[in-house]
Amino acid sequence: MTVGSITGHRKRRWGKYVMPYLFIAVPLLSFIIFVFIPMLVSFWWSLNDYSGIQPPRFIGFQNYIDLFTRDKYFLQALRNTSIFVLLGMSIGPTLGLLTAILLNQKVNFQAIFRTAYYLPVMTSLVVVSTIWVMLYNQNGLFNSILHAIGIQPVRWLSNPSIALVSVAIASIWQGFGFETVIFLAALQSIPRELYEAAMIDGANGWQQFRYITVPSLRFVIAFVYIYGIIGSYQVFDQVFVMTSGGPVHSTTTLVYYLFSKFQDLRLGYASAIAYILFAILVVFSLIELRLSREK
Amino acid sequence: MRINKVLIGMLLIMSFVLGACGSGAQQPAASNEKVTITVWDYYGEATPIKPLIEGFQKENPNITVQYEALDWDTTLEKLNVVTTGGTPPDVVTTDMTWIPKFAALGGFTDLKPLSGGKLNGEAWDQAYTPGGLEAITYKDQIVAALYDFDVYALYYRADLLEQKGLQVPKTWDELKDVSLKLAEGDKYLYQWGADTFHGSQWIYENGGDLLSADNKTVVFNSPEAVAATQTYLDLLTNKSAIYWGADQGERIQGIKDGRIAMFSDGPYNMGIMKSAAPEMAGKWKVALHPYGKQPGSYLGGTGLAIPAQAKQKEAAWKFIEYAMRVENQIGVYTYAGAAPALTAALQSPEVNVADPYFGGQKPFDVFLEAMKTAKHFPYVRQWNDIDVAFSTAMEQIGLGQKPVKDALDEAAAIATDALSK
Amino acid sequence: MNRHRTSTRDLFGRFGIYLVLIASSILMVIPFYWSVSTSLKLEQFVFASPPQWWPSPLTFQNYISVFTKIHFQTYFFNSVFVALVTTFAHVFFDTLAAYAFAKLTFPGRDKIFFFMLLGLMVPFQVNLIPLYRIMSTLSWTNTYLALIVPNLTGVFGIFLMRQYLISIPNDLLDAARIDGCGEFGVFRRVVLPLAVPGIATLIILTFMGTWNDFLWPRIVTSSEALYTLPVGLAQLQMKNTSNEAQIMAGTVLTALPMILVFLFMQRQFIEGMTAGALKE
Repeated sequence: MTVGSITGHRKRRWGKYVMPYLFIAVPLLSFIIFVFIPMLVSFWWSLNDYSGIQPPRFIGFQNYIDLFTRDKYFLQALRNTSIFVLLGMSIGPTLGLLTAILLNQKVNFQAIFRTAYYLPVMTSLVVVSTIWVMLYNQNGLFNSILHAIGIQPVRWLSNPSIALVSVAIASIWQGFGFETVIFLAALQSIPRELYEAAMIDGANGWQQFRYITVPSLRFVIAFVYIYGIIGSYQVFDQVFVMTSGGPVHSTTTLVYYLFSKFQDLRLGYASAIAYILFAILVVFSLIELRLSREK
Repeated sequence: MRINKVLIGMLLIMSFVLGACGSGAQQPAASNEKVTITVWDYYGEATPIKPLIEGFQKENPNITVQYEALDWDTTLEKLNVVTTGGTPPDVVTTDMTWIPKFAALGGFTDLKPLSGGKLNGEAWDQAYTPGGLEAITYKDQIVAALYDFDVYALYYRADLLEQKGLQVPKTWDELKDVSLKLAEGDKYLYQWGADTFHGSQWIYENGGDLLSADNKTVVFNSPEAVAATQTYLDLLTNKSAIYWGADQGERIQGIKDGRIAMFSDGPYNMGIMKSAAPEMAGKWKVALHPYGKQPGSYLGGTGLAIPAQAKQKEAAWKFIEYAMRVENQIGVYTYAGAAPALTAALQSPEVNVADPYFGGQKPFDVFLEAMKTAKHFPYVRQWNDIDVAFSTAMEQIGLGQKPVKDALDEAAAIATDALSK
Repeated sequence: MNRHRTSTRDLFGRFGIYLVLIASSILMVIPFYWSVSTSLKLEQFVFASPPQWWPSPLTFQNYISVFTKIHFQTYFFNSVFVALVTTFAHVFFDTLAAYAFAKLTFPGRDKIFFFMLLGLMVPFQVNLIPLYRIMSTLSWTNTYLALIVPNLTGVFGIFLMRQYLISIPNDLLDAARIDGCGEFGVFRRVVLPLAVPGIATLIILTFMGTWNDFLWPRIVTSSEALYTLPVGLAQLQMKNTSNEAQIMAGTVLTALPMILVFLFMQRQFIEGMTAGALKE
């Protein structure tokens, strides 16, 4: 082989790959500049005491240690967020499944009902929070209804024991329609023959549910739970608009706390919180990967 | 040929994207070159700053003012973001409570050298009261020009007091008595603020303080402070006060619908009441807030500051000086209904007028009096942590979650820990 | 025979189902109804007791003042502009890249894809501040560039489209290549038309995500001229001289476009969404 044909061969090979690389160029570049590099910078900051104005001072993992050992509010934020996720993920998908089952009973106007559940999902969390703040007002609709049936008004957003639940209720209202739609599609793909065979065998509704419906929905359920958990852990907008983290930090969530540290010009500390959150989400993602592999 | 199209398309996009950067860069200006300064203003609709722009630009034809109207929260957030790396404004309205954080990090320009030691020809200490000057000084630097000042006095429903034959309360005991007599179920109550502004006032009024004079020790859980807070809490337990939480809505709502008959706040609130509650004209008055041992209040307000990384500092200073002229300071009152910080403006007949909304009294006499004994929050870097700890304690106390001493002791521990970092 | 005997029980059951569905749908819609109804009330009737289910008097002044006092039309324009540009960019870049990852072979393909998948696991807040720094270094803060460029393309979109494109039979692609189309031609002629349901989903998800985005626009813009609807709305909510009725008018205006888009493209959207989840 002459030299010329070797280089010619190589040129042809690279020429073949120009197109694919070109196709992925913009997203890849965008990813590196706007996602990957910030991730690295953020991690570096988390290892420093950094105010953003004065030069960073390297302190290793001290921020992380302080968060877990000296920061009462961080631990409370961790607790609050976990409770929020627990509330949301125990009620939301359940409501979603129930409504999906109902809708699956060959009802008319399915699209209308579906829309009623799904509209809140299309609405921005800021809009949802703004509306619910008004509903939760001391003299708002909810308390007026309670008053009309003789119950004392509830301090929805200023009672520390209730405030987080109030925020969770608004969030569940906003979100469960998503699960309804997904479960409905999944239910509709379960072959009718399975149910008919079960009925002939004498299985009642509950047994059909337990032995046919749930197993068939296994993967959708896993998907819904993991993505729901990952999303819920990042709750911020509602807290920002409705309660500003109060009262008494009872609604301060991880991201809200991160945000407040950023407000206090403690960028290193805030970045450490962000990375702890990231670690939590990675754990849940790995769980999902495991679950979706077992087939 | 198709490859070329795609390539060109992408290159076009990338060049548009990349070529657009650098368009906002400003050059440092020689004194008569055309410059643009950015001014951030959180006053809102009734701002005294926007009306200044026309006159200022006429006097300084080489300076263009780019004006941004924001609100208090947004300004703080934006300021946070730009001070850590971005394009800060050249002039920004700064709440005095932000000074500990920004000044401690060198976020504001020292106005002393920039001003040549004089504000519109006057030495700084002639232009302001000692308290006012102290509030804008951080470690021997002047970090902002105090524009309006904020001290808390008692706002009360004079009409209701008259109806019931009551005198304006001057001491805590009188306040307890009057508030009980005014209250009717869930109406006509004293607004209970669970924050550092209100909590500190009661502590000051009993001879206590938040931090020791050298800012090294936490003292807001001293016996005087605990006693003061206990008295404050008594108003709630006697049901003559209303705990003002997030779901009560805005205070102005409470003023309008009668839930609130007394509250403690600063001069700025006068403007809010006049514009949002005109139907209440003549019913309200202000008086020095009732005290235990001595009158007291937090001292705050708005300052005009120049961020350290601002690009047009000289031009910015010109704008600030313009805003601080006596005739323009008077605008603080005439537009925003707030209290001008310049002593000359405060004492002017345009500002110190009898106010029909407040039953014909001169409210600024009251606020001036309160200013004499007002204290600004400690200017330490960790102020935010201390503030959060203290106000959390106030919330716990007001909600009945913890007894006064326990809540304050706990908060003091957190604050001490913060100070030690 | 069976059907006849159980008919009354069936009827009862179906009645019960409809009852629950109707009742729960009404409950779901009440907050929206209340917000519209409040937006049409005068300020003093917002917290009237007993509450007014139908506004009386009914007034449009809140909508008028929202446009005249608060420049909502600016926020609206910004939201539309940013959402449209971002959506078109996403459809183009994401689908193109997804095609490359799904159907073309090149060295490092899978490694690069996995690398980018990591981005899905990163909560936005991790990158928030450094991203802001990058914007300010480029002097893009408070410009449309900062609102749009970081969101021109997204890993989620690529991931979603890849799921669709993978199932396109390779023979179709080969046929087009043999016909003399370059790769881009194959993409345009064969792939795009087949990917339409996926693209519909991508359009709606991207539009919705951009329209409702709050945190990033809030951080990166500082003048009203650039606010998007959620940012303007949140600010309206926090100003202490706003009244609830006005705020509700703001929320209705913010939510309405998305709701209309959804109602219009409902079928494709739901098909697309659920297919994505089921393929997981």
